[in-house]
Order: sequence, then structure tokens, then C-alpha cells
Amino acid sequence: MKRLLSILIVLVVFAGFASAQNITVIGTVTDSNGETLPGVNILIEGTSTGAITNMEGFYTLESGPEATLVFSFIGMTTVKEPVNGRTVINVTLSDDSHELEDIMVVAYGTTTKEAYTGAAEVVDNEIIENRPVTSFEKALQGTTAGLMVSSSSGQPGTSATVRIRGIGSLSANSSPLYVIDNVPMANALNDINPNDIESITVLKDAAAASLYGSRAANGVIIITTKNGSAGETRISFNAQVGVASRISDGYNLMNSTEFYQHSWQGLYNAALLDGKTTAEAKIYAHDNVEDIVGFNPFGVDDPLDNDGILKPGTKVITNTNWRDEVYKTGIIQNYNLNVSGGNDATKVYFSLGYLNDNGTTLSSDYTRYTAKVNVSHKVNSFITAGINNHLAYSETNAPPGGTQGANPVRSAEIINAASPVYNNDGSYNWENTASFDFNPVGLAELDLYEYKGKRAMTNAFINFDILPSLKFRTTGAIDYGSDKGVNYYNPFHGNGAGVNGRSSMSNTENLAWNISNILTWSRTKNESNIEVLAGQEAHGESYSVLSAGVTDFSIAGYPDLDWGAKPETPGSYTSEWNMISYLSQVKYNYGGRYYLSGSLREDGSSRFGKNNKYGLFYSLGASWRLSEESWMQQVNWLDNLKLRGSYGTSGNNNLGNYASLGLYGSGANYGGFPGLRPVQLANSDLSWEKISSLDIALESRFFNRLDANLDFYIKESDGLLFSKPLSAGTGFGSILTNLGAMKNTGFEATVSYDAVKRTNFKYTVGLNISTNKNTILSLTTDKIVSGTKLMEEGASIYQFYMIEWAGVNPDNGKPMWFVNAESDDDESSDIPDSAYDDPLETGRKVTSEYADAERVRLGTSLPDYFGGLTNNLEYKNFDLNFYFYFSVGGRVYNNDYATNMHDGTQPGANLSTDALNAWTPDNRYTDVPRYVTNSTDQGRQLSSRFLEDASYLRLKNISLGYNLPENLYSRLKLQGLRVFVSGENMLTFSKFKGFDPEGALNGTTSNSIPGVKVVTMGLKLDL
Amino acid sequence: MKNMTLKYIKISLAVALVFAITSCSDDYLNLDPSTSIPEEQVFSSFESANSALVGAYDQLSKYTFDGLFVPIMSDIIGEDVMINSVDNWNWFVSVYQLNILPSYIFADDPWWQGYKVIANANRIIENAPLIPDVSEEQVNQLLGGAKALRAYVMLKLVEMYAPAYSGNPEAPSIMLVTKTLSADDESLPRAPLSEVYEQIEKDLISAISLLEENDDKGFLDKKGAQAVLARAYLNTEQWEKARDMAIAAYTDLDLATGTELLSGFNYRNSETIFTVAFTPEDNNVYNSIPSFYYPVSGYSSMRANKDFVDLYSTSDIRGYFFLLEPLIDPNRYLILKFTHNQLVGNAERISIRASEMYLIEAECEAHLGNYDNAQDALFAIQERANPIARKSTSTGQALIDEILLERRKELFGEGFRWNDIKRTQGRFTREGDHWVKFDFGPEDEDYYRLTFPIPQSELDANSNISESDQNTGY
Repeated sequence: MKRLLSILIVLVVFAGFASAQNITVIGTVTDSNGETLPGVNILIEGTSTGAITNMEGFYTLESGPEATLVFSFIGMTTVKEPVNGRTVINVTLSDDSHELEDIMVVAYGTTTKEAYTGAAEVVDNEIIENRPVTSFEKALQGTTAGLMVSSSSGQPGTSATVRIRGIGSLSANSSPLYVIDNVPMANALNDINPNDIESITVLKDAAAASLYGSRAANGVIIITTKNGSAGETRISFNAQVGVASRISDGYNLMNSTEFYQHSWQGLYNAALLDGKTTAEAKIYAHDNVEDIVGFNPFGVDDPLDNDGILKPGTKVITNTNWRDEVYKTGIIQNYNLNVSGGNDATKVYFSLGYLNDNGTTLSSDYTRYTAKVNVSHKVNSFITAGINNHLAYSETNAPPGGTQGANPVRSAEIINAASPVYNNDGSYNWENTASFDFNPVGLAELDLYEYKGKRAMTNAFINFDILPSLKFRTTGAIDYGSDKGVNYYNPFHGNGAGVNGRSSMSNTENLAWNISNILTWSRTKNESNIEVLAGQEAHGESYSVLSAGVTDFSIAGYPDLDWGAKPETPGSYTSEWNMISYLSQVKYNYGGRYYLSGSLREDGSSRFGKNNKYGLFYSLGASWRLSEESWMQQVNWLDNLKLRGSYGTSGNNNLGNYASLGLYGSGANYGGFPGLRPVQLANSDLSWEKISSLDIALESRFFNRLDANLDFYIKESDGLLFSKPLSAGTGFGSILTNLGAMKNTGFEATVSYDAVKRTNFKYTVGLNISTNKNTILSLTTDKIVSGTKLMEEGASIYQFYMIEWAGVNPDNGKPMWFVNAESDDDESSDIPDSAYDDPLETGRKVTSEYADAERVRLGTSLPDYFGGLTNNLEYKNFDLNFYFYFSVGGRVYNNDYATNMHDGTQPGANLSTDALNAWTPDNRYTDVPRYVTNSTDQGRQLSSRFLEDASYLRLKNISLGYNLPENLYSRLKLQGLRVFVSGENMLTFSKFKGFDPEGALNGTTSNSIPGVKVVTMGLKLDL
Repeated sequence: MKNMTLKYIKISLAVALVFAITSCSDDYLNLDPSTSIPEEQVFSSFESANSALVGAYDQLSKYTFDGLFVPIMSDIIGEDVMINSVDNWNWFVSVYQLNILPSYIFADDPWWQGYKVIANANRIIENAPLIPDVSEEQVNQLLGGAKALRAYVMLKLVEMYAPAYSGNPEAPSIMLVTKTLSADDESLPRAPLSEVYEQIEKDLISAISLLEENDDKGFLDKKGAQAVLARAYLNTEQWEKARDMAIAAYTDLDLATGTELLSGFNYRNSETIFTVAFTPEDNNVYNSIPSFYYPVSGYSSMRANKDFVDLYSTSDIRGYFFLLEPLIDPNRYLILKFTHNQLVGNAERISIRASEMYLIEAECEAHLGNYDNAQDALFAIQERANPIARKSTSTGQALIDEILLERRKELFGEGFRWNDIKRTQGRFTREGDHWVKFDFGPEDEDYYRLTFPIPQSELDANSNISESDQNTGY
């Protein structure tokens, strides 16, 4: 091999001598501070002849008098100097931080921004570090065009929903694939300490992601963790403390007086409708109001006057603000210690992290301990081996959500203010008319919903530099997660009361392994460069659960199963899948101007049906750097102009592990005998979802301070997994098929401008904006209605479909809906008998019979566009960053609000103060129907009454930092000291009525723990 | 060094090759789940096929069908009991208000659950004769059991989702599913009532001939099939046949004693013909009859109408089913008929018992003009509950009315009232301390409320049932 090298060198030397009339050029290269730069690469343009500066920054080179010298050094701007017969050429290179970012980690390797033919964006650790989030992806919101991040719960430790370039699937999981240190991840994201992350690359198009084949359909997010570097060992410690609170106050709820009076009115109205006289109705209301409310919150027996209004001077004894009882101020603490260092042979990084977020809701908190070791070691001149190791342990308390009685968020909204938290003797009061026996404050103390997770991720690799042009890398990885969950219901109240206490425990184990062998070969000849990758990968995952439970406890507060007298049916199962893959990629570049790439991957998966075991995926990409063309060199203000495009295919294999099989399931036991029941229809053709995507983009940089990128994409998904609804006659609700097709198109624009670039003052402002239009292309049936949505060809996946609210009839207070007889909801277009002309004079037909109105299409939950506006200021030792996130368009059906506007259908449940505006003969023009106890008016039923605009603008993060000057921190014997204060989600501008317009992508609310705003203070010490 | 390089290339290639080979093996890409098996395996032996029949009963017993929804709604749509408007988590309120929409779970769930049972039964009926090494006796057991179950469920579904046979025997009713439908098969339209009743009769006659009597009343046996057929004949007003089947079903069974009646209906008794056999391991806890009916330890939200309680004579032992306890409910009668057994919600739900058969006999004989027989059968039920009861001397419609009233008194809470009103085309009159009152007869438009809508989910998925095929009123 050495011989080969010497031949090459000789050839180069000869090449140099061969050209006649050369002159010797000498010079010194310095940086902008005047310091000499050793190791600068100098090349005669268009040849491979060159030189490197020595330790003093000096170089000498033989060159033709008309040649152009290209000076380049990593992290510096590249300078081109025509020789023009000069013999001394001194050059100053300036810093180009931009250049540094351009080395990016991509699928199965690295590349530079210039050379890349795909659509990918890198988010570096500055964005992620020191944010008060438990999981890194939440910090990505608004940072990258085309990346949609949405959190539907403020429960600490939960992950956000992430979508790249729209929603690619109808029913399969549309999450991107996460790859950490070259290995696909299998378990939760929140086990990763965001402070261990060096950079994140978001792969968006086919050229970028297709190499991941049947898992790449929804894009790929590559996480690279920190590594040590040769040189002085650096120890840094950072500490943060934050204060968290509910993101907003939401709509107001009635106080006890308002609710008591309103309930009286409801009874009175109900009695009148029942045919009673005014006097009888008043008596009826007086007699029953305490029953309906559950409590008389006043000091006297007969607190209301003849018109149901509180008698003046009556003392209010009980007025519980249940939100104040359920929500609290959260404290977030985060401490990280990390050490990085090494020498030329061995590099090491290790860290310890502790995070505690005690939550903003009763019995909701999260604690995480992490430890990380990354080591790489150069065994000899051509072998490097290393290991990346990550350990995490977490403890979560998370109360149940949704409509469950034990959901504290729901309880806070529906238990009326007349119900006290405690009885007079200080014990918990369990009576209330909305959620009987479920006092959320009491349950928070007595019940337990605890989850403990352990996680170990290890990957070991060996790199062989077989030849300078030929490399081989083999990687083996294990990702192991083990979780233990305890749900304990106390014996006395709530869920456990009927069985004298219940404790359920489950242990889950999730093991994923991955082996990959990748060979890369590259060759540079003249102006062209070719790089070939070939490899093989095997991946498997196994998930197993063991669960058991007991009831009947003799003593409260001890959830261990030993305490229960009666065992419940235990359970266990294992679910596995395997995959085998072969992959290859070719990249070609000519003269730094023309780039081509192509990739091919074959995946065989145990998840696919027996008729479709293997899938083949490919991509093609090309880019043209116009700014590098000789005819563009005169345009000085243009620093970069690149056109690129790609096309390719990928798949989504999230179809479930055994979805193609026809199965009878266990556990259908009856009368003491074991039973079997059909659980799934067979579909042997079942396969991955096929996605083809086209991307066309322009990248540019002007005046060395303005970057502008524009991407356009079309993603077409075909063979979408889809549970085709079946007639009940089949005995199954649905069968999983590959029959749907969908299209996502969109634009992504990113602009970044270095407004001020002085030494002491820098200001960069950036904007990214993304649009996405989701269209269903084909379905198995014309229309699929589920809940609030209608799926049909030509419409968005999350198209709202419901009866259209027409307001309240001013004559009788009944709700009205537009008849919409011409809608295709019903085959006939006959006007129903109950229809009448809208008294509110819209000129349309309305009805007060809910069943007689037809459903219509009412837009989508997905935003028209969204993005981020970033601002980075640096002034001397201060830095100030703030960015906004915005989401415009899209609607949300506010279930929670509907529950608090029940019009009397849940007579004991609390109401929004908006309900005070209910129709009465004296308040005829209103949007709130008459309030009738046990109303049958149906006003609360699904309709556009509760459909709201979900647009919002949010100050996502603002942070101010101060780096102590060197003379100060060195006096403290430190290498650096930084203090900072930051605010997350500080301001939100929205018309939405609930706590937080950000929520589930499908645009429905479900009593989730509201999002939080956090103020954090912290410091970072470099020792 | 070159040798070293070669060596590494060789090692690497060998490693790659090893993985390539191991991964190509069949097992690697063909994995089976750990808790389910393919259909072929189910019908490979009598034992596993019989487990499929057990599984079908398990589906029947789910709270969305015969465990709770069907029986409780069959009384809530009636005059004698009511659901509380408060402390009840809104369960069955819209049913009580006779205000059901096609999207409501109360209409949706029983439909889907019922057809699940039918589909499971169809698979057993088709595959039972094909099981290798199975005896004729075993095939009969499987076939008879599955047919009886299929008929039982179809009868429940027509009673809920179709108007009364006595009103119009050709009215569209339910889908008549008698063979396994695959996902590609065309979905079925609503069959006329007459066709469904014909199939029910055919299935039950076949089941009666195939089945023996079984000591375990958790499954429909010969007597069970006879009893279901008696009900079907009663609905179609074939009085003689109904009478004969009812008598066949109760013969050899002793009526439970009066005190037994008060023991809580939580375990099968001497007169049980078929019971939904919950065990403590497999009960529905809160979604069960005792949870809703018994005054404590569950939803406890069922109450009896004051006017109904007043119908019992003071010497009637069944008066003890009712209790006024102001601490629990200041105004309304609590119901003690159905109690928990060991655990909350645990109780066998006696679905068919001999008393009902006596009352069917009485009703049929009255219609046939055999008043003596009718009076005797009626008296058998009355004298047990009321030691000083006197045998009725009424005849004609008066006697029929007495028998129908006795059905209410004897069978309330067991899931009969809704269908009794409908099949007799009677008037629906809710008075007393009901919080939603009604008064309408078969000639009134409101009568549509006594028939559930076909669920919206079925209309959406079925190409042969559209909105225009929906029951009137919805």
C-alpha cells in the first residue's frame, strides 16, 4: 500500500514538472486576526496539484502564471486568487461558521451540504440544549421547515407527535424513523437526554431517506450524540431550575352561585315544558335544585328568591375552584455533568444527567436519570473501534386521561363549584353529581399510577480502512427497554370501591437488535468523484408483556399484589418482527458542479403477507451548483446557487406484527371453560405502504449574509393500510387492506439573514414556513365516516363532517341546525317536515330536530401553513434568542368545551360561564340554547357549534444568556461560565376557547393535561 | 500489511455471509403470534372447536349484548323501571328518553356484538362436520349448540331493530346471515321479518333434534332451544306451537320457591333453563345487571316506578323486591331483585326460566280459548309468590291482560317489557314518578321509538342498506 502511495505522489510531482514555464509562488496564509494558519490546503484550480501551509502558515508552490490558486481550510471561507504572474501571494481567510455546519450526518454516512442531492436539514445542539423539555423532539417545533411537532398533553415525560411533510398514512403510524448513532431506535424518545445530542438531521425526501427502505416513508430523523475530541479534557456542569404553569387560563367555569341559580333555571324551564304553571314550576325548581347540584353551597336552607336569584346578603359557604385544586405550579430541575476528551488514538465522552419535572397537575410527574459513555479507539492505522452506550432510568406518575372518572383534568372541568373538596371534619368529600366518588384531590392521594422505565442502548462498531478508497463498517446494536407499571385503586373510593381495592401490575420488555455491514468505496479522478456504498442489515424486535392483578385489600396504601385477597386473571404475550435488508448507493460528482446519486434497498419483513415478503425501494437525486460554473464567477453577490431534485420510493411497514394472518384469539373464556374467538381476518397480500416522492429545490446565498431555500414536494402514497369497514354480517368491524392512496404536496421556504455582523454585535433573523395539502386519492368505499370526520376521495384525511349549527331559535330557545337537504349525507334531498325558515334570516332552512339535519363538510384540522420565526442576537457577552411558532388554518372540535356547554343534559356537571348567556324569553338573541334540566334538545350533540379555529401564534422560546468574560472566569479558575434565563411558551395568541390550541393532529380535544409554560434559570460551568 | 487487509476483508465477508444465510431461513420472516392461532388449527380437533363454541357464548355474555345492554334496555324501554338522571354517568339516559340516534352506542354495540356471535356460530356450523376424527355425537353437540345460539341472537336482534311481526310480518328487519361472509362478499340487505323467523324456527327445530339435555345451564341445551322457539312462536302469534314448546321446556323443572326468588337472582336455580354464566374471574364488574339494579356497590341507578310497586298486593312476597331508603334515594323505590354474588357485578344472569314458560303457556291458552288451562298456568306463578292468591276466573281479553300484568310482576328486570309492548302492539303509557313520561299507541307517530334504528356504522359500511332503508322516524 505504501508503494501505491509513493507511485501516486511521484505521478503528482511529474504532473507538476510536466507543464512548462512554471513559476514558484510563495506566501503566508493568515486568519482575520492576523494569526498564521497551518495546514491550509492550496490547489491549482482544475488540477490535483497543490500544497499545504507549514506550521508558520507559509507555503511554496510551482504554478503556471495564469493559473488560479484555491485556498481552503475547514471552518474558513475558501479564497480563489488568480496568480497573474505574481510570485508572492499572501492570503487572509475569514471564519465561516456557515461552512462548519455543512458537514452533515445522513443515511449510513456523512456528506457536505454542497454535495448533497437530498432534502435534509440539520438542527444543532444549541437549539436543543437547556430547553425545559423532557424529550428532544419538542424542542424542534418551528425550527425546521416541513417538520410538524405537536404535543397533545402537558404530562411530563410524554413524547410529541412528529410528522415530516404531512401525514402519509390513513391508519398506519406516520411517525418518522428515528436513528441514533447509525442504529434505528425501537423505544421511547424521552429516555434520551437532550443534552447528550450533538446534532439532529431531518431527512425529508427520497434521495435523503430511501436508503431506509420500508421504514422511510415518513422521513427519518438521525440523532448523533456527542463524542470526545483530541486535546484538553473538558468538564462541564450545567444546572437549571424552572417554574412551570398551565399554558393559559382557558374559558371560565361557573362559580357555585352561578351554577346553583342556573340549575334552578333549568328545573324551572323543564317544569314549564312539562306543562306546569309558572307557580308550580317555581316550587318544583325550589324543591329539586339542591338534588341536582348535589349541595347547597350557602349558609341558609332557602337561598334563592322567587325568581331563582340568590337572596341579597346570603353567605356563600362553598365555592370550590376545582381547577385550582387540580393544577399546581410545577418545578423542573435539570442537572448535567459531562466530560469529554481524548488523544489521537482514543476519544471519550461521558455524561450524567438528572431531570425532575414535578408536573403541573396532581399526581403527574417525571424523574429521569441518564448516563452515557461514547468511546472510540484507533486500534492501528486502519482499524477504529468504538462503543456508544446509553443508560436511562425514569419514574413517571401519570393519571388516566380521556373520559375516565379518575382523570383529574376532566374532574376539574365537570365537578361543580358547589361541591366541597373536604367535609367539615377535614376528610375528603366524595359526593358530587358529576363524577360521583371520584374526588380528584382525594384520589391523587389514595390511588397510584406509576411507571418505571429502564433503558439500555448499546452499539459497538468497527471501522476498517482497508484501502484509502475502501472502507468497511460493521455495527451491532442492542436497544433494551423494560417498564413496570402499577395501577392501584384504593379500596374505598373511585375505581376500586366496588371490589375493595384493585392493584394491577405489568412488566413489559422491549428488545431490539440490529446488525449492519456497510462497505464504501470512493474514487476521485480528475474532476470527478464517485462513491459507492453496499451493505446488508438485519433487524429484529420483540415485545413481551406480563401482567397480573388482585382485588380485595385489607389495608389501603399498599399496592403490592401480596396484599390483595383475590387474584384476577393474569396475562402474558410476546410479539415479534424481523427484517432483512440489502442496500446500495452510488454518488457521483463532477467538478463540484454536478452531483448525481442513486440508491437501492430491498427489505424482507415478517410483517408482510406471505404473497408479498420482499419490497424493493429506490431513489435518484441530482443537483447542479450553478454558482460554481465559470460563467457565474463574475456575479460577486451570489455566493451559492444550487438546484436540486430527487425522486424515489419508500415504504411504511407499521402494519402490526401479525396483521396479515387470519386468527382466533385466546381469552374468550366463559362459565369456567376456556374459549376461542375469531379476532382477525386473513389478508395474505398485505404489504408495506408504498410512497413515491418528488422533490425540487433551490438553495442560495447572497451577499454572504442572506440564505434562501425553497423546496417543493409531491409525496404520493399508495397501497395505504386501511381498515376497510365491513358490514356486521361478516362478524368483523373491518379488515386491514392496502387499498388507500393519498397525496401530500407542499412548499417549504427558509430564509435566514445576518442583519448585523459586527464583532461585538451580531443579529440573525430567520423564517421558515411550510405548507402541506393532504388529499386522499382513493379509498375502498366512497365515504368513511368516523366520529367527527369524513374520509373520501379528494379530501383531507382529517376533514370534519358534522351537522352545521345555525344558532338558537329566538322564539323558543331551541337549538337550530341547517337542514342542508342538498347535502349528500342522505340520498334524498327532501326537506324534512320539521324544517322552517331560519328566523335569524340567513335565508336557509333550519330545523330543531337534530336527526333531520344532514352532515356537511367543514374543513380540516390540518393547518394551511405553519413555521417559525427565529431571532438570534449577540452583543458582547450577551446573547438573546427568541423564536415564534405559528400555525395558521385548521380547526379543532372542542369536546371539552362541549362538555361544559351541556345545556342541561348532564344536570349536575359544571358549566362554562358562557352558558350564563343561555336563551331566556328576556335574552332571545344568543348562541346558547335554553337551559333545561335533562334536556332532550340535543344542542350539545356533535355539530359545528363546538368547531373552532385552531390558528395560533406562540412565543415558543425566549432566552437570554451571559458568558462571563475570560478575565473573570479565569480568576475563578474556570474555563467558562455562562448564566441564562429562558421562557418556554410564554405568550400565545389565539381565538381558541380551551387551554391550548396545540393538540392532537386530528383536531379533537380529550381532557388532556394542558400544555405548560416554563421559566427557567440556569448556569453552565466549564471546569 | 496487504495480508492483514485481505484477512479483514475475508472476515468481514464471512460475517456478512453468515447473516445473509441465517436471515434467509423461512422462520426468520414467518413469525406466529403467541396468543392466537390460525382458523385451520381451531377446527382440527373437537376440543378446540368446542372452545370456539365457548368463545361464542363469551361474546354473547359481553355487556354490550346479553350481559347488560339487551336485558337492561328491554326494561328501561318500559313503564315499570327507570334509570336515574343523576349519579349515573349518563348511562342509558337516551334509551330511557326514547331518544336514540343511529350513532349511539346503545344502538350500535348490540348490533355489532350480536352479529359477532352469529358469525362465530356460522363458522362452527360450517366447519364442525369437517373436523377430523370427530364422533357424530360431538358434531351434533357443536351443530346444535351453534344453531340454538344463532337463533337466540337473531331473535333478540329482530325484537330490537325491527317493528313487531304482529304489525307487519313482511317489514324489513335484520340481515339474515346464515353462512360465513368474507370481506369480498357483497353485504346483505335487510330481510323481511317472515324470512328471519323462518330461519329461527328452522335452526331451533334442528337444534332440538341434535341437542340433549345438559346439566350445565350456562349453554343452550334441548330445553333451551325449545324455550327460545316458544318465544319466537309467541312473537309470531302461533299460539299452539308456542304453548307446546313452552310446556316441553318447563317439563321436569321445579319452579323456584318464593324465598328462592328473593335470594337475589345471582345464581342459577331449579327453574333455570339458560343463564349467562359469569364467574368471579370473568364478570363485568360495573357493566352488569346487579351493578345497575342493586342499591349499593355499583352504578345503583335503577329505580322502580311507584305506580308499578303499587300493583303488587301486600301479601305478594315479590313486594320485598322494593325498598324505600331515603339515605340512598329520598323519593324513589330501590330494587333488590338482583344482587351481587361475592364480587361487585358478579351474578349469573338468568336469561330463560320456567316461570316465563308457564306464562307463555297461559297466554297462548287464553288466546286459544282454553281458559282453564290458562288460569292454571297463571295460578302456578301467582300462588308461589302470594300464599293467599286466588285463581283467576277471568276469560277473554281480561284474562290475557291479567297474564300480561303477571309477566310484568314476575319478569321485570329480566328483559321482556319492551318486546311485550311491541309484540302485543300495546299502548306505551309512562306515568307515576317517572321523570320522562309518554303516552302513545301503535297508531301514533311516536310508536317508531319502540324500534331501534339500524346503526349508522352499518349504513356506512353496507352497500345494500342505505339511509332510505332506515327504520321510520330516524
